[in-house]
Amino acid sequence: MSLKNIIDYVREEGAAYCDIRKERWDTTSLTLKDGEMEKVTSGNEEGAMVRVLYNDGWGNVGTSDLAELKNAADRAITMAKNSDKYKKEQTGMADVETHEEKVEMPMEENFLDISTEEKVSFLKDLEKHLDKSFVRSTELRYIDRLVDKEIATSDGTHIEMKIPRIVTYIIITGKSDTIQRASEGIGGTGGYELTGRAYEKKDVVLERLETLLEAQTPPSGKMSLIMDPHLTGVFSHEAFGHAAESDLVSTGNSCLEGKMGEKVASEIVTIRDDPTMDGYGSFPFDDEGTKARNRTLVEKGILNDFILDRENAWKLDMEPNGGARAEDFRVKPLVRMSNTIMEPGDMEFDELVEKVDKGVYAKSSGGGQVNTGEGTFQFNAQEAYLIEDGEIVKPLRDVSFNGFTLQTLQNITGITKELDTGIGHCGKGQTAAVTDGGANVLISEVTVGGRE
Amino acid sequence: MNGKLTDSVKKALELLGKKNLNGDVFGIKERNISYSIKKGELSESSEYEDLGLGIRVIKDGKIGFGYCTPGKEEKGVRRAEELSSISQKLELNLPDEEEVPEPKIFDKKVEKSTLEGEGAEFTQQVIDGAKEYKDDIIPTRGSLSIGIGTKVLGNTKGVFLQHEGTAISTGVLATIPGDETSINASESRFSRKMDLNFTDIGKTAAKKVDSLREASELPEGKIPVVINPDAFGMLMWFGIVPAINGENIRKGKSVYEGRKKEKVASEGLVMKDDPTRDWGIGSGSFDDEGIPSREVSIIENGTLTNFIYDLKEAIKSDTESTGNGLRGTFKNPPEISDRNIVLRGEGKKKEKLLPDKGILVDGVMGAHTLNPASGDFSVVGTPAWLVEDGEIEGKVEGAMISGNLPETLETIELADDYKKSYASIGSREIKMDLPSARFNDVTVSGK
Repeated sequence: MSLKNIIDYVREEGAAYCDIRKERWDTTSLTLKDGEMEKVTSGNEEGAMVRVLYNDGWGNVGTSDLAELKNAADRAITMAKNSDKYKKEQTGMADVETHEEKVEMPMEENFLDISTEEKVSFLKDLEKHLDKSFVRSTELRYIDRLVDKEIATSDGTHIEMKIPRIVTYIIITGKSDTIQRASEGIGGTGGYELTGRAYEKKDVVLERLETLLEAQTPPSGKMSLIMDPHLTGVFSHEAFGHAAESDLVSTGNSCLEGKMGEKVASEIVTIRDDPTMDGYGSFPFDDEGTKARNRTLVEKGILNDFILDRENAWKLDMEPNGGARAEDFRVKPLVRMSNTIMEPGDMEFDELVEKVDKGVYAKSSGGGQVNTGEGTFQFNAQEAYLIEDGEIVKPLRDVSFNGFTLQTLQNITGITKELDTGIGHCGKGQTAAVTDGGANVLISEVTVGGRE
Repeated sequence: MNGKLTDSVKKALELLGKKNLNGDVFGIKERNISYSIKKGELSESSEYEDLGLGIRVIKDGKIGFGYCTPGKEEKGVRRAEELSSISQKLELNLPDEEEVPEPKIFDKKVEKSTLEGEGAEFTQQVIDGAKEYKDDIIPTRGSLSIGIGTKVLGNTKGVFLQHEGTAISTGVLATIPGDETSINASESRFSRKMDLNFTDIGKTAAKKVDSLREASELPEGKIPVVINPDAFGMLMWFGIVPAINGENIRKGKSVYEGRKKEKVASEGLVMKDDPTRDWGIGSGSFDDEGIPSREVSIIENGTLTNFIYDLKEAIKSDTESTGNGLRGTFKNPPEISDRNIVLRGEGKKKEKLLPDKGILVDGVMGAHTLNPASGDFSVVGTPAWLVEDGEIEGKVEGAMISGNLPETLETIELADDYKKSYASIGSREIKMDLPSARFNDVTVSGK
C-alpha cells in the first residue's frame, strides 16, 4: 500500500488527522584512537512512523517493518482512541500550506561515492597534525549519514527529501598536574567537502589543550562574563531557545509564556533560529511537511516568535513555522530548534574586555542545561581566562556559570561584530543535529562556580 | 516476533560459516509503549517496535562491523567483511559455550500490561497522585514507558544465547504556576517488575514542589551537601564510571591509573558492577559479546580493586573481559560500559547525614559538563533546600556546587535509602543502584 492509501484508510476509520513519515538511513561511522582504527561500521536501516489524531487523542506507532505498515496504522488508531478517552482539553492542527515536492540537499562531493579507505586516510592524516608533545591521547571520529525521507499528511502534503549530514570530532587529552581534554565537532549539512573544515579547526583544539594544561581553577561568585561566539550560540540555544519552544510554552513550562511582544532582553539582542541557513541543523521541510523558514525569536530585545509545530501553533493561535523534528522513524516529532544565532553587534573585542573589572572570558561550550519553567540555566566552558581591571590575566579550567535567563538576557551590555558558529547535538528526550552561533557577548553579571 | 529475530541471527551465522569467517551476530528486538503527560492530562500514546542485527566479522585477525534489518543478512555480512580489511589487527578471542547465570529480569505482569493497554491507567494514577495533593499543583509534563526487549547473541564457536527483559519507568514534573516564572520539581522511578506505586510517584513530585514555596538564603563556602540518589547517580556516572574504564586506565586518561589497592573512598564504601542481581536495571545473563555475567568488585571497603573490560580491551591490557562489552543498539559494535553499578556504604539513616549548616539537593543541572578525565565538576543543585541544625528549611536558588568527584569520594558518607536510579541522556543510559550521600569536600556559591 502506498502512504496515501494508508492515510485514506485511517481517515475512513474516523481519524481527524494522520501523517506517515518513512525513512531510510545510510550511515558510516569510523573511530581512530591513538593510531588504531577502533571502530569501522556501516549499515542501513529503514522504518516508518504513523501518527493518528482521533478526536483529541494521539496515537503514534513506529516500526522497522515496512511490510507491516497497515498493522502499525491499525495500532495507532487504537492507541489514539484510547488516549482520547483520557483527554479533556481540545486538540487541533493549525493550517499550513500543503506541498508536493522532491528535494535533495546538495553535496558537492557525495560521501557515498568516497571509499571507506579514503575516509580512513582522512582521519589518519588529520591525526598526524595532532602529534604534539603535550598530547597524550587522540580520538578522531568520522560519521556520515544520508537520511532519505518520505512524508505524507492527510492534508495532502507529500514530500520526498534527502538530507546528508557529516561530522568529524577531534578529542585530545593531555596531562600536567591534572588530566585535561579538549574537543571540537566540525561538520554540517552537506557532503564530503565539509571534512576540510576539520583541518581549519585542529589548531584551535591544540591551543585549547595546551592552555588547559597550565590553567588554574576559577574563582567563585558573581562577576562579569564574556562569551566567545560558540558559547554565545549555546547560551542562545539553551537558555533562551528552549524556553521559546512552543510545546513548553503551551504546557506552562516556559518563562516566556504570556510575554509575546514584551521586552525580554537587552535592546541589542536579536536571536533567530533558521533551518534554511548553512548549518548542521538545516532542513527544507520539517517532519510534519511544513516548509522551513527563519524564525526571529527576539528582535532588538522584544519577544517576537516561538518555534512552532502545527499542534502547538493551534493551541497558541499562532502560525506553524516548521518546528517539528524527530530523531528518527521510531519516534514522533517534538518541537526543536535548528540553527540558532544571536546576531552580531558593533563592538570590538578589546572594548568588551576593557569594560570588565573582574570577570571571566569563556570559550567554547562544554555543555549546558536549562530549566525553562523556572528560567534558570547552567553552562560549562571548555576554555576560560580570568579578566582583572580590563585585562586578560591567566587561563582557567572547569569554568561553569549559571543564572536566571530573563535577568541575564537583560544584562547583555556588549556584542562584537564577527559571527562564528559551532555544531552540536541537542538532547530533549531525542537527539537533534544543531548549529549554534553568535559573536563575543558581554554579560554584566552571572554566577561563576569555582572551588576557590 | 522472537522467532523472526532468532531465525535472522541464525541465518547471518550460517552465512559467516559458509564464507569460513569468524565472528558474532547480535540481534535485538524491542517493543516500547509510552504515554505522555502534558498540562495535567494524558495527551498521547506512542509505540515502537524495533528489530535489527549487528554483525561482527573477524577476517585475517581484523574486525569489521555491519548492521542490517532481518531479511538483509547477506548485505550486512558482506559489508562487515569488506570493512574488516581496513581495521586494526587484533586476535579477538570469542567466548566458547559456557553456562550463564539467569537473574530475574522478566515479569509477565509487565508484558501483560503492554498487551492490554494498562499503561494509560497507570499514567492517570501518576497524574491523580500529583493533582490530588494540592489544588494549585499541576503535573505539567511527564511520561510513563513500558518496554520488553530481547537480546540474542550467537558466534561462530557455537555460542547461542538469548535473554528477555521487561522494564517500566515513569517520571513526572509537578509545577506551581507563577506570574513570572513557575516552580517545579520532579520524581522518577524505574523497575523491571510491576511493583511501582504510581499514585505515590505523582504525590512525591507534588510534595517536593510544595516544599519549595518558601525561600531561604543560600549558605556559601565549604559546607556539606547532602545529595539524593538520582542526582548522586548522575555525578557518579559522569565522574567515576569513566575512571574505572580499562581503556582509560591503559591510556593514562583516568585518575585511578596506577592506584589499584590504594584507598580511594571512605571506609566501608563498596562499589561493584553486578549484572547477576535479580531485578537489577542492567542485569542480564550475558554481555553483548556473549561473556557470562559476573559480579565485578571495583571498590572494596574504600580500596580500589578492579576495572571493567570488554573483549578487545582485555587483549590490549593483557587481562580478561569482565563481561562489560555493551552495544546500546544493534547499530554499534561492543564497547566498554558499566552494567549494573551498585554502591553501598555504612548505611546511616538519611536524617543522620543532615548537617548543622549545609544544603540538601534533589537534582543537578549540568552533570554532563563534568570533566570526565579529571572528575572536576561545577553543577547547579536544583531543587535544593537549606539545612540548619539537621532540619530541612526553605528552598535555596542558584546553588553552584563545585568540587572533584574522586576526591569527594574519599570523605563521602552514604545513607541507606537505596534507589534504582535510571536516566537516559541522548544515547547514554545511566543505571545506578545507590543511596543518598553527603559530600564533605565541595564548595557552594551563588548568593
